[in-house]
Amino acid sequence: MILSPSLREAFKPLRLMLQDRLAVIGLMVLLFIIAMALFAPVIATHPPRQINEVEDGSVLARGPAGWMLQPSLGPVALNGAAVAGGQALIVGRDGTVYERAGQDWAPVDAGTGADLNAVALRDDGTVVVVGAGGTVLLRSGGTWSEVPAPAPADLRGVDWLDGAAAIMVGAGEEIWQLDADTGEITELESPVGRGFSLRGVARDADGTALMVGERGLAIRYDPASGDLELERLGSSRDFNHIHISPAGAALVTGERGTLVRRDAPGARWETEPAPDTRALRAGWIGDDGHAFAVGRNGIVMERDTEGTWRLATTESERHLRALLVEGDSALALGSDRFVVRLAAPSRDYWFGTDHLGRDLYSQNVHGSRIALLVGFLGAALVVLIGTNVGLVAGYYRGRTETILMRTVDVMYGIPFEPFALILVLLFQPSLLIVILAVSLLTWRTVARLIRSQVLSLRERPFVKAARVAGASDLRIMYLHIFPNVMPLVFLELAIIVGVSIIAEATLSFLGLGPPHSVSWGGILHDARLSGAWRTAWWWNLPPGILIMTTVLSVFFISRSLEVVANPRLRARQ
Amino acid sequence: MSRRTYLLKRVLQAMFSLFIIATILFFLFRLGLPDPTAALITEGLNAEQREAVRVQFGIDKPLWHQYALFLWNAVQGDFGVSFAYRAPVAEIVWERLGNTMVLMLTAIVVAYAIGVPLGAWLSWRRGSRIDTVGIFFGLMFRSAPMFWTGMIAILVFGVWLTLMPTSGMRTLPYEADGFFDKIFTLDFLWHLILPATVVALYYLGSPLLIMRNTMLEVYGEDFIEMARAKGLPERRILYNHAARNALLPVVTQLAVTIGLAAGGQVVVEVVFSWPGLGREILNAVRTSDFPLAQASFLVMAAFVITLNLLVDVLYTTLDPRVSFK
Repeated sequence: MILSPSLREAFKPLRLMLQDRLAVIGLMVLLFIIAMALFAPVIATHPPRQINEVEDGSVLARGPAGWMLQPSLGPVALNGAAVAGGQALIVGRDGTVYERAGQDWAPVDAGTGADLNAVALRDDGTVVVVGAGGTVLLRSGGTWSEVPAPAPADLRGVDWLDGAAAIMVGAGEEIWQLDADTGEITELESPVGRGFSLRGVARDADGTALMVGERGLAIRYDPASGDLELERLGSSRDFNHIHISPAGAALVTGERGTLVRRDAPGARWETEPAPDTRALRAGWIGDDGHAFAVGRNGIVMERDTEGTWRLATTESERHLRALLVEGDSALALGSDRFVVRLAAPSRDYWFGTDHLGRDLYSQNVHGSRIALLVGFLGAALVVLIGTNVGLVAGYYRGRTETILMRTVDVMYGIPFEPFALILVLLFQPSLLIVILAVSLLTWRTVARLIRSQVLSLRERPFVKAARVAGASDLRIMYLHIFPNVMPLVFLELAIIVGVSIIAEATLSFLGLGPPHSVSWGGILHDARLSGAWRTAWWWNLPPGILIMTTVLSVFFISRSLEVVANPRLRARQ
Repeated sequence: MSRRTYLLKRVLQAMFSLFIIATILFFLFRLGLPDPTAALITEGLNAEQREAVRVQFGIDKPLWHQYALFLWNAVQGDFGVSFAYRAPVAEIVWERLGNTMVLMLTAIVVAYAIGVPLGAWLSWRRGSRIDTVGIFFGLMFRSAPMFWTGMIAILVFGVWLTLMPTSGMRTLPYEADGFFDKIFTLDFLWHLILPATVVALYYLGSPLLIMRNTMLEVYGEDFIEMARAKGLPERRILYNHAARNALLPVVTQLAVTIGLAAGGQVVVEVVFSWPGLGREILNAVRTSDFPLAQASFLVMAAFVITLNLLVDVLYTTLDPRVSFK
């Protein structure tokens, strides 16, 4: 391909640039960051401001140092658990059933997709599971079968009674009795009949069943006589769960830290003071009065045999819904949707999450937009003002020059960072003010540099020739002199892009960046404000590295531009 | 033009610059905060105190009167009383300025003491791998925002290794009679290391690169050829002949850097909770403590202008070729 000599001359700086390895790397990195800014919504895995929540089958095990988080069982919340005869079962949302196999939990296919709420296990291994939509599952002899329900009730609690009978309760005050041998369900009539939600049921020591529900409702069922009677527990709070020990100690847990306890069959029910008033979803009590209760936000309470309830240390804020106690070991199970706060980098969140559960990778990707926008717009403004002032001052000289250059002198007396701060703080932060704050002072350098170049250029023969040929001042300035300062202009442009990006990051870091924008400095601002940056290293590292890489790439390019602009550097390299 | 008239002219120019900056400052604040006392109602300034402030700044008077009052007070060095500290602004500003300068000067001295020889050495090894690596790191530290390097330094040395204190100038509580009593202690040095290193690393790049580039230009000069022809050893040419002549732009940069140092590196002071002028101005503007903000800014500007003036004076002695025009 044959290029005209003048065109070849024009591409010479580019060729020089491409010979500089650092400049090529810089150019590639910068193009990469620009692509990142352009395609941010596509590259980001999450919306940058979205508060991410996940559901998780969380298991907390009681240990000497508190209740510690165990490996998650899966992505769904766990609702109920039962242990008997050496076997243990956990049920959860979406038809999830886990059975204990040695030290681990193995998923079991129970043949349903409905949310399962409660499970009861008999010593001989017979299992009944109840759930939403009238789901009743029976496992006897190792095979699961679904028992046809009389109504699509939302069943909340289940327990075995003597013989083959199981009792289950539902959210619409349903009380059903299952005969495990025949697989038939009998509907019992509640003595209240107002559609109160029943949430828990347990077999009492004397063979009757006690069920509890909202507004302090408690109903005793005697399977021998078939009688259903109201019982008073001395509280009108909503009850969530009941557990009765083999010897007859009983614990009812409910909303707003409700704890109602009975020592033995026939003893008085007593409301006990709870150390926290959040909802308690499940409880467990032993024959000796040792008890646990678990609830929302990782609340675990423990009652010693003397009768004092204490808040136990827990490792997480997951919502706990069930307890599985066997001998000395105890597991708390549960977890609704919870916000993924301060999660370390993982497959879902490549750079982890911040204190509000927002994905940091996506924030970093989107942050490139504001950095490049302010960087390039600010630099363009700076170069535009600086070049023109420099051209005019250098070309016209005289009074024009004096006034312009004295202005520049004055501007050199203004410290940059404090000035930008004052500007942004006095006038509400907006994108425009931030760009102005970044560029209003920086043009002073460009103006000085360009002027000094123009001063020598205007005395060159080609300028005099143009003047003799009758070219206007504007024509000489912009068509004859300007092309000769172009390399210098590009050099300054590159440097100031870098300076502007750092300035924007600095303002954002101080919380003075463009509002409602995601920026690298802003991410670090959040990190510092939250105080969590001292532990969450994944929060600090990426934005700084990105700022550094971007600015560095621009500086590399500017360095090779410097060689283009200043041939004296070129000759000896 | 004689040297004396040149200097006189430069001094007058500097004073004029300061006057213009004071004017800009005044109108900027009046534009942003029309009634400075209004922002203070919630702060619990009682009517009497408010009235005193109004009189001092002449809020009820016409704008030109306020402006004249501001200038008159500034000339006398009376910047009023800080709203937040309830103490004379001048005292606060001087103390904060001292804190800032201790930090910045340490960092600048370290940066130039390392950067200048290193830059000369890199220019000697130009084109080698060492040269590339040197440039890379110089530019890298210059590209990393200081608030970030500061946070990382705190994270690594303060939190993980628990080697260094991470905030303030002294371990609290401490007692010190005056500024020098405060800073001539080991405890202070211990607090200084981390922030000063962070600032020094940032500043390192400019003496390094300026020195390297000027050296490259100086190598082309005839007197270097001459020295070579005389058969002087390369090292001696480098340090005795070339480096001396390449120092001028570095000295300029040094003075400009020191001048700008009064403004401090606001973010470093914020990250390390260093009670300097930069952090003070940020707090002052945030809390609308505008006597303090104005005074801090004016002191910073005066500092920059004085140092710039000093550069020019220095130039006339260092480089006799400079003509007094």
